[in-house]
Amino acid sequence: MLELFLSQILNGVVIGFVYALIALGFSLVFGVANIINFAQGALLMLGAFLTFTMVRLGAPIAVAIPIAIVITTATGMLIERLALRPLQNAPYIAPLLSTLAIAIIFDAAAEMIWSAEIQAFPSPLSKYVVFVGSAYLTGVDFLIIAVSLGVMAGLMLFLSRSWMGKALRATAQDPEAATQMGINVPLMRQFSFGLAGALGALAGVLIGMYYMSVFPQMGIPYGLKGFAAALLGGLSSIPGAIVGGILLGIFESLASGYVGEGWRDVIAFSVLLAVLIVRPHGLFGNKSLDALGGASGATGGIPTTSVVASMAGATGRTKQRVLEAPLLVLLAVIALFALLPVLSGSNYLLQVGTQAAIYAVLAVSLTLLTGSAGVISIGHAAFFGVGAYAAALAGRNWGIPAEAAFLLAGIAAAVFAAVLYWPTIRLSGHTVGLATLAIGQIVYLVCLNWVDVTRGPMGIPGVQRPSLLLGIDMKSLTAQYWQALVVLAIAVIIAFAMLNSPIGRTWRAIREDRLAAHASGVPVSRYLVLVFLVSGFLAGLAGAQFAFLQNFVSPESFMIDTSIVLISMIVLGGLGNITGALIGGVLLAMLPEVLREFAEYRMVAYGAILLLLLRFRPQGLAGTR
Amino acid sequence: MSTSITRARPEALIIDKVTRRFGGVVAANALDFTVPQGEFLAVVGPNGAGKSTLLQMISGVIRPQEGEIRLGGRRIDRLHTEAINALGISRTFQTSRVFPMLTIRESIMVGTQVGLIGGGRTPRRYGPVTELISALLRLPGYRARVAAAEARAEEVMKMFGDRLWPRQNDQAFSLSYANRRRLEIARALVQDPDILLLDEPAAGMNPSETDELTDIIAELRRIRPGMTIVMVEHKLQVVRQLAERCIVMAQGTVIVDDTPAGALEDPRVIEAYLGTRRSAAAFGKVNADG
Ligand SMILES: Nc1ncnc2c1ncn2[C@@H]1O[C@H](COP(=O)(O)OP(=O)(O)OP(=O)(O)O)[C@@H](O)[C@H]1O
Ligand SMILES: [Mg+2]
Repeated sequence: MLELFLSQILNGVVIGFVYALIALGFSLVFGVANIINFAQGALLMLGAFLTFTMVRLGAPIAVAIPIAIVITTATGMLIERLALRPLQNAPYIAPLLSTLAIAIIFDAAAEMIWSAEIQAFPSPLSKYVVFVGSAYLTGVDFLIIAVSLGVMAGLMLFLSRSWMGKALRATAQDPEAATQMGINVPLMRQFSFGLAGALGALAGVLIGMYYMSVFPQMGIPYGLKGFAAALLGGLSSIPGAIVGGILLGIFESLASGYVGEGWRDVIAFSVLLAVLIVRPHGLFGNKSLDALGGASGATGGIPTTSVVASMAGATGRTKQRVLEAPLLVLLAVIALFALLPVLSGSNYLLQVGTQAAIYAVLAVSLTLLTGSAGVISIGHAAFFGVGAYAAALAGRNWGIPAEAAFLLAGIAAAVFAAVLYWPTIRLSGHTVGLATLAIGQIVYLVCLNWVDVTRGPMGIPGVQRPSLLLGIDMKSLTAQYWQALVVLAIAVIIAFAMLNSPIGRTWRAIREDRLAAHASGVPVSRYLVLVFLVSGFLAGLAGAQFAFLQNFVSPESFMIDTSIVLISMIVLGGLGNITGALIGGVLLAMLPEVLREFAEYRMVAYGAILLLLLRFRPQGLAGTR
Repeated sequence: MSTSITRARPEALIIDKVTRRFGGVVAANALDFTVPQGEFLAVVGPNGAGKSTLLQMISGVIRPQEGEIRLGGRRIDRLHTEAINALGISRTFQTSRVFPMLTIRESIMVGTQVGLIGGGRTPRRYGPVTELISALLRLPGYRARVAAAEARAEEVMKMFGDRLWPRQNDQAFSLSYANRRRLEIARALVQDPDILLLDEPAAGMNPSETDELTDIIAELRRIRPGMTIVMVEHKLQVVRQLAERCIVMAQGTVIVDDTPAGALEDPRVIEAYLGTRRSAAAFGKVNADG
């Protein structure tokens, strides 16, 4: 018993040093550029895979690692230059989503280059073993500790002694004063991204050696863990990062030892959430996390918490141009689409059409939450998933007829959304994105690991479609298509009624300036819970429709990829705009079908679309509202 | 020592030995005074005197570290900003906080929301779920209340002549600096507050705009004499014309509490303004404006 405990603690400490390295990269960028860099994990993955490739091509690992670090450093600096610097005066959601887009592009590109499989990573030192009682440490463990301590000591010296280091710190403290002292602040920001890239690459290599494997999707989980460690440590000091990393390592090691390996990440992300909510300044921190984020905060003149204010790109005009179709027009278009089965008997078209309708419902659901109420939701797939599982389980385990399962799915997702997102009410700026991403990951991992209920990765087959509705046999694909359109029409009607009511106006006021909303007497929490409920309900309906269409539910449909596709959809259409959400939802849902031969590039395409939109048309196709 | 000029009116607001520090700076140092109901109180003082901090504390944006703030006998300094507003205290911000993407009309309607659903001063009418259902189904009772609020918003917009009313569908980000201030004042006024807190309402306005605003506030005094107003203002002309009482703050304390005429001629006030180089500049601004 004690042996297990001891060995888990040892494991935790070792991996904790790696987390500390990632955490330092985060802290550096957060301090200097005031942004939560979601691409940090992608750089980590890149460093690991570059090393992996060079070794496979025959390079000695000791040569491969430095080269990988140099390339990753350059990549980090390039990301800053291409994806962030142009967005300096954009609202704070833009740089955040920009790093997210980069992360997803890297992730998807890596899957294409190296396949989605786990790859064996060279780890020559792991054969040396030292026993500590019945626990043991390998050569890799010693390497990790030595390298991490060495790097941190070096970084500390660099920051306190060298001119560059001092300039970095000055920029972090007060960019304006730094500019006046002749420090090239944009260069410092770029430099911090480079440093973060180097730290990330190093961490990636060490993780590869530690687990003797690497996989293309490792960026997001390790990025999140690095951030959890940074947050635990208070985001500002190197010793803080070490302590935060080690604490996190120990937590999750104990969790994997006593609860099961599958729960390791659930615990890590829960720690992240808990710290965000309970102690956003970290255990020892003094650095405030409530910065709006973005290189220069929100906008110049007007104080605002808006995610869309300058996305409208309409300064100077008295009213920006927005394309918003009246409700009846939208319903008429949906009715036109209902004619499709009459015109063509193609099952393929019906399948695609149903998918598109489901995505359109999800986009409408997300645009209420993120577009109108300004709550950046990077975990929206969670509520889609809750709806799908609720519908599947209702029929299979509880014998509830599929017709009622629809309603149940909506309600379950609404309740989950309200409960899970409740803690985000207290958060501000980028941290909302971080928290919702973590929540999305937790829900996905729970679906994956709670095998008793969800059957884990095997999924739930044989989901029964509703049988009979108004005398129509609902089992056919045609009927499913119509059913999806009805769900879409309901979603549009609800969203329309909400947005054009005082409730919708209040959501937008909260988005635009939360403090002013409070001061105007708006009970902000109440209206945020309302938007969680409505948005969750619609996502749940979409989930149920998805389960019925596929006759099957499994966790992989509700991964972060889905959440990011949804964000791309609503940014493409124009945030907070229902017409836009429908356009964006349908267009991006059709994209992989239209470009069939490029279907495997779809995540890269989604990421690229998001990135380009943020840069060149942040108001989207139809305009933000 | 301060000369209080309280009359036989019930006390609306009691500031009871309220202290607030920011690091080493004492922004409010045991502030202690009362504001009778219906009084027009002006607060002046050099930059950094703690005037805005006082309003922030009354409205619950910042919490005092020591002391109490009471509204009609009820302690409010531990309440949330929105709860304080619901009790009848409305405010504007020194850095006008408008809702950039909302139109003028929408922004003012946001001010009516708390009255619509009730709570605080008025009985609670709509819980979250009842409001959701009412809005979704557009139930007549809810719609009638919204219509009444719209009517009130129109009334308030028209108070500002042709400044807001013709632009009611313009988005707030497109407004001039002066119009943003008017919009904020309108958003507060539509709530028909018992206490109105104004933080430099005339800042950034030219002399004729300042006169126009002064007239609007004077008119407001005429139609709502019961409304207590606390106004921070650097333009002493505005203070002279509107206020009944004037508190002069410096370095977190009240140094003079008198009629506007008395306070502004007090030698201690001149000294406070000239105390620092930064303040001297402010005094120059005051003279130029006033
Ligand atoms: N949130 C804050 N954090 C740190 N210091 C603050 C904060 N708010 C106010 N202060 C400090 O408290 C002091 C009083 O500020 P306050 O804004 O109340 O002054 P003021 O009288 O309104 O000045 P002004 O005429 O410039 O508006 C100043 O020294 C200011 O720097
Ligand atoms: Mg002030």
